[in-house]
Amino acid sequence: MNALEIRGLTKKFGDFVAVDNMNLNVREGEIFGFLGANGAGKSTTINMISSLLRTTKGEIDLLGKNIAKNIKFAKMNIGIVPQDLAIYENMNAYENVSFFAGLYGLRGALLKERTEEALDFVGLGDKQKSFPKNFSGGMKRRLNIACAIAHRPKLIIMDEPTVGIDPQSRNYILQSVKKLNQMGSTIIYTSHYMEEVEEICTRIAIVDHGKIIAEGTKEQLKTIITDTKEIWVGVKAEGELPLDSLKQIQGVTSVRFEEGVIKIHSKTEVNNLNRIIQQLIRDQAEIRSVEEQAPNLETVFLTLTGRNLRD
Amino acid sequence: MNVINIALKELKVNLRDFRTFVFMLAFPIVLMLILGTALTNAFTSGATVGDMSLLYRNTASSPQLTQAWNEFSSVLEQQGVKLVAASASEDGKADVQDNQYSGYAEITDNGIRFYGSQRDSIESNIIQGMLSAFADRYNLAAAAMKENPTQAQTILAGASAQQSYVNESSLTAESQPGSMGYYAIAMTTMIAFYSVISGSNLIRGEKTRNTALRLSAAPVSKGSIFAGKVIGVTIVNFLCVVAVVLFSKFAYNADWGTHYPTLLLILFTEVLLAVSVGVGASYLFKGESSRSFVMIFTQIASFLGGAYFPVDPKGVMNVLSNISPMRWANEALTKIIYQGNLQAAWPALGLNIGVAAVFLIVAALFMRRQEAI
Repeated sequence: MNALEIRGLTKKFGDFVAVDNMNLNVREGEIFGFLGANGAGKSTTINMISSLLRTTKGEIDLLGKNIAKNIKFAKMNIGIVPQDLAIYENMNAYENVSFFAGLYGLRGALLKERTEEALDFVGLGDKQKSFPKNFSGGMKRRLNIACAIAHRPKLIIMDEPTVGIDPQSRNYILQSVKKLNQMGSTIIYTSHYMEEVEEICTRIAIVDHGKIIAEGTKEQLKTIITDTKEIWVGVKAEGELPLDSLKQIQGVTSVRFEEGVIKIHSKTEVNNLNRIIQQLIRDQAEIRSVEEQAPNLETVFLTLTGRNLRD
Repeated sequence: MNVINIALKELKVNLRDFRTFVFMLAFPIVLMLILGTALTNAFTSGATVGDMSLLYRNTASSPQLTQAWNEFSSVLEQQGVKLVAASASEDGKADVQDNQYSGYAEITDNGIRFYGSQRDSIESNIIQGMLSAFADRYNLAAAAMKENPTQAQTILAGASAQQSYVNESSLTAESQPGSMGYYAIAMTTMIAFYSVISGSNLIRGEKTRNTALRLSAAPVSKGSIFAGKVIGVTIVNFLCVVAVVLFSKFAYNADWGTHYPTLLLILFTEVLLAVSVGVGASYLFKGESSRSFVMIFTQIASFLGGAYFPVDPKGVMNVLSNISPMRWANEALTKIIYQGNLQAAWPALGLNIGVAAVFLIVAALFMRRQEAI
């Protein structure tokens, strides 16, 4: 059964079409990666699923029920973890979770039980009386998640839940997402970190200009790319690197430099490795390693959208 | 139930906002002290009577008049009037002009001629009154002397025994507040009106904290969110106002009268009005212009409402001040506290609730039209 079914979804702001006739299915029990560069239409879609925005056209079904006609049902069964922290600094961790859970009709002993359960789940069980102003960035992110799950939603939408936190907290959150999924929740997960998506998502959709341009498992998506290869050249990063001259070489579609490695996308049918190395030698770059990478999600995304995920 | 939940959340969040709370309490309390102390004299309506002195010259040949004058003189001295007999060469009128005496009296067989000082007008008027009383009584005694000398003696003797030539009758005007009383009311209504700031932040605060998204995503109607927040922030601000009233009463001995339920009801509706204006402004004016409008409107309303200085009860300022909600509240509170006039509450209550209703309806309509809160 589909947890979420989107048919012909369109959202216009004046003449601007933010979401353009989108069709999408998310199956129950999935961790569904929803990828798109800034302005691609991700947030608008999420806001329509969460009933924060009205649709211009199209239908959204949650667990088989149309959300426009069953708005309370939809809201009761969706938990949203916003990209920006949405907590009250003047209320302690327990009060924050308890307040939001209370809005979903939980009362008395059940409210207390679910609040404590949510805080324990995100590892803040011993910080119930502490105020968020005393929390680290990672702890605040975890509290942000606890506020969204105390009412046990069937569908949890996580909009970049790991932005700006340390690796340890990120790992904790990723494990929590997997655990929530194992406990029966369907997750829609957006992130600017492709490695996170590769690690936890069972299926992925790539959205661009308000449309789904690719959808499938990560293996399926990688097979889409047959005409692009990625060459990594490790260099000693001193002085100005000859990135512009590399872009002039036949077949090269993009060049970027990250952490001591020049990452070059090139057309598969053009054999240009020798020319790339010769150009680097001419530009007096100190080459340390050269390897051709198998296509990954980053390559897929870049090839399909012409942009990096973090753009 | 969600309305109560949201109202309680507002109470918690706002009461723990230490900086705002201190501002809401300390600002009126400090201003009350400064203005109430500095402007004490501006609120004093009494007059002070200084030393009274009378220079006199008695040239009367009548022994009865001389005897009566002497008796009258001793009574005057007991009343605190210093009597000085003028020397033969002394120009009494010139001495009064030089401000050496409050008045100068010449007693002759034809009567008493009095010259009063224009500088010490109060003192000279009192002496003049005493002399007039004496002259009337002497004339009465002189008239009686012709018919019945014994009765004349009784009149003069009675006058001496009574030792009173000026009868005081006090006609007290409606009591008015002193400086501390005035500023206790003015600062309290001003801080009640400052709730307009809380009102303007009511929805904007949720948006800034991103919690508006969570509230909108929850299965709670916009109406419940709106009502809960308005109730919560109104109660918080009203608690601040009550704290200011209690502080001014016990720390500054400000007079708040005896009709506390009515006074608090007026203040509560003023807070409600201010919150409503703030919420309405946050929908009518977007972003920074909303903040600017609130700040400017609050200051103008404070000034016109007499928060800093009493408004001239005549002229253009008086007319303009009627648009300030603080003026409505100040007038009502003053009449209730100092005249016991409970009827004065009705105009303020009616205006506060009416204007609050208009702004709340406007804000609710705008909120309903928006997709999220």
